[in-house]
Amino acid sequence: MSGALLEVDGISVSFDGFKAINNLSFNIDSGELRAIIGPNGAGKTTFMDIITGKTRPDSGKVIWGEENVSLIKKSESDIANMGIGRKFQKPTVFEDQTTRDNLTMALKNKRKPWAVLFYHSNADDRAKVDDIADEIGLSDHLDRRAGDLSHGQKQWLEIGMLLAQEPRLLLVDEPAAGMTVDERNHTVTLLRRAAETRAVVVVEHDMEFIRNLDCKVTVLHEGSVLAEGSLDHVTQNQDVIDVYLGR
Amino acid sequence: MQGPLGKFMLKHPSTLVFLGLLSLFTIIVTIGSEAFGYGFVSTSFVKTLGKTLCFCLIAIAMDLVWGYCGILSLGHFAFFGLGGYMIGMWLMYERTRLIVINAAENAQIPMTHQEIQDAIGTQIFGVVGGSDFPLVWAFSHLFWVQLALVVLVPGILALIFGWLAFRSRVTGVYLSILTQAMTLALALYLFQNDSGLRGNNGLSGLQNLPGLESTDQSLISMWFFWASAFALGLGYLLVKLIVESKLGNVVRAIRDDEARVRFLGYNVEVYKLFIFTLTAVIAAIAGALYYPQAGIINPAEIAPIASIYLAVWVAIGGRGRIYGAVIGAAVVSLLSSWFTGGQAPDISLGFYTIKWVDWWLVLLGISFVIVTLYVPKGIGGLFDKFTKGAEQ
Repeated sequence: MSGALLEVDGISVSFDGFKAINNLSFNIDSGELRAIIGPNGAGKTTFMDIITGKTRPDSGKVIWGEENVSLIKKSESDIANMGIGRKFQKPTVFEDQTTRDNLTMALKNKRKPWAVLFYHSNADDRAKVDDIADEIGLSDHLDRRAGDLSHGQKQWLEIGMLLAQEPRLLLVDEPAAGMTVDERNHTVTLLRRAAETRAVVVVEHDMEFIRNLDCKVTVLHEGSVLAEGSLDHVTQNQDVIDVYLGR
Repeated sequence: MQGPLGKFMLKHPSTLVFLGLLSLFTIIVTIGSEAFGYGFVSTSFVKTLGKTLCFCLIAIAMDLVWGYCGILSLGHFAFFGLGGYMIGMWLMYERTRLIVINAAENAQIPMTHQEIQDAIGTQIFGVVGGSDFPLVWAFSHLFWVQLALVVLVPGILALIFGWLAFRSRVTGVYLSILTQAMTLALALYLFQNDSGLRGNNGLSGLQNLPGLESTDQSLISMWFFWASAFALGLGYLLVKLIVESKLGNVVRAIRDDEARVRFLGYNVEVYKLFIFTLTAVIAAIAGALYYPQAGIINPAEIAPIASIYLAVWVAIGGRGRIYGAVIGAAVVSLLSSWFTGGQAPDISLGFYTIKWVDWWLVLLGISFVIVTLYVPKGIGGLFDKFTKGAEQ
């Protein structure tokens, strides 16, 4: 392998003396689908905060892409523009605006105010929005206020906004939370399809959901990696059973 | 209608309605004015209306920065005041110069250039015990430079203040307090006699345009009324174009969830800075049109309370709908001048007389609380049914 898409090397961060991340190392290749599991407080969300520039680590390296750029001092918006998209635990779409406006805002385009002010919708962009809406099953809801969508639809819209950004790495925090069984299955399909063209990291609690994703699993515990491998492999690991599954 | 602007108007008929009503209002006032028509609108009332239009313009700016971008600035009257000071300096300098030169013509010995300058200086700064021109008056003799400073000085102040505040990610109530501190600091500075802007005396006689001493105020008041109406129409159109663009979507998104917008790849700080500075410039233009109609500007005008009133106008009128800001500013400021101008009849309760001059603020406070609690969309929200139906 010619080097990982994202290379996290020995990062640590503590809040008021509490070590949220402790010497954590993690690699992901382009086109890889990966699930991260771990008990509450294992540092899953903090880990995503560090990659996306929301939190600065106390030590360690975060290296991105073929050109090995360090992400540590970059702003959230720069990191997003370099190709890392993030979906939050609680669906955060812009409720006051339509599905279409939400997607158009996320579409990979110039992000400078001047270009955005004079942006004119074109056939190309409209087609992209239609394609994404089709994929996330919201074609009939394009002109509805995002706030009027159901919980599951909002989650999909947020995934659609991520796809619209055309990121090379997608970080997805608990996508299945609060979804019905059908909605979960649709979400699994969406994520698996997304992973065909880019790297996807999914943080999830739901074991059935992880099993359906059918991918390599990383188990976090107290801010570092406890085990890594297939779901069957990690679920038989005695450490994992002790701290996570056994309870 | 042709062209992109025509299409825009058809898509957003509320803009067309607003501009139509503004034109109609301007025509009615013109017909009623002492200078051009039947005279049932007195010159002083024309000035009041013209000043109200300037308040409407700064309210539009406030709505853009607060209602759309979510930055509750409680300092925009600082920019309004600075705009007034910048144009006021030229008005005062030029008029004083003409007076001095006029007087010199009658003198037996012709005055030297230096003597003329000294005489102007004494005229303007005698009141604060000086006669030298402070550095800030360096360009006061150049109309065009001073006109440029109307937008440059408040614009650059907003740019520097905004850059420092937004870069440090100061948001919410902390930012509001910071903007209050800014306008308070500026007011306190200007109150000092050695600030170079005549301390608490401020600049006066601004209603007299240099070289037009023989022109009647009834005519000058109409010029400023038209200019204010034109600026309001232009400002409305500009802000509407912005909020309906994709930039408008991003700005609203910043108001609703700033962090999420960052992860979409937008540099939130740059957007906030753009909106903050643009609205400061609009406020400054409104101020530059207001003070020649008011005739006088002093540091009390930019006391923190003025900017709080601005927020109250916009809240009562309805945030996030531009016509709401206009309605709020017009209704509240006109009512305010009616109640505090002594025209409102006092109410005698026998044991106590309600004097509106004192009680108006209580009434305003109560209405603000009622609007916040029960009509969060403000007066403008009442029109939503019509506009939403037409604009979707």
